[in-house]
Amino acid sequence: MRFLIVDDSSTMRRIIINTLKKLGHHECYEAGNGREGVERLATTPVDMIITDWNMPEMSGIDFVRAVRANEATRQLPVLMVTTNAAEEDIVEALKAGVSNYVVKPFTPDTIKEKIQAALRMAPSRTR
Amino acid sequence: MTIPETVVDHLVVATEEVFETMVFRPIVRGAQLDGDAVRPPSNVVATVAFAGHRRGLVAFHSSLAAAREIAGSMLGMEPNAVNGEMPDAIGEIANMIAGAFRTKLAAVEPASAIAVPTVTIGSDFSTRYGSAVTRVLCPFEMDAQTLYVELILNGE
Repeated sequence: MRFLIVDDSSTMRRIIINTLKKLGHHECYEAGNGREGVERLATTPVDMIITDWNMPEMSGIDFVRAVRANEATRQLPVLMVTTNAAEEDIVEALKAGVSNYVVKPFTPDTIKEKIQAALRMAPSRTR
Repeated sequence: MTIPETVVDHLVVATEEVFETMVFRPIVRGAQLDGDAVRPPSNVVATVAFAGHRRGLVAFHSSLAAAREIAGSMLGMEPNAVNGEMPDAIGEIANMIAGAFRTKLAAVEPASAIAVPTVTIGSDFSTRYGSAVTRVLCPFEMDAQTLYVELILNGE
């Protein structure tokens, strides 16, 4: 499976990629904000997106809206990993089209479970 | 003026959670220091501003050696191999502490929004604030290293 990790923190990208590799997923692409994520998706097909919320240039919420507005990417499962954990944040993220939600700080087990849950919810072409 | 004990406790617990789940290093809380009479001897300071129901700043202070240990532990690297990765890792630590703190407060009062982190590295520097603020400094022991998390509130 191919993953796109969108986060302005290279540390967080590395932590998520390390977790994915432990799960056996070695094909991971990176973007530093939502705009770079949109550009990457235009050239690189992926099976799942993991994105932060608070990023410069284009936020995670605006990025998810762009993903859902594009016919080529609208079905992709999107996992949001963020410190924004208030109830209204989660509602806003789900309305924007996020498939599942992980609150930082997280344990490795939590992110594994959420990735697997998002994949189970995904259309068959992504599995 | 002092910051309410429950607010400080949310910050301390948020810091402990971040170190337990993301740094994999135990930390031991110390006695909080009110005001700005004591300035932490730090080379690395990461700050995250917040605004909304409350306005202020969460600041994480550490030595260079402690910052490399933290970054190495987060990234699965030896501390002496950490170099360019350290500022981003410490910024993320501050971001997660401020985010968890904000979430805990949002459960009992209207939410505030947090900004992206800023990291300063150097020596012989201090921070000053133009408006009247209330400060509390929370020390933590991480093995032989002392870390500090500071809460600065406007208009309390």
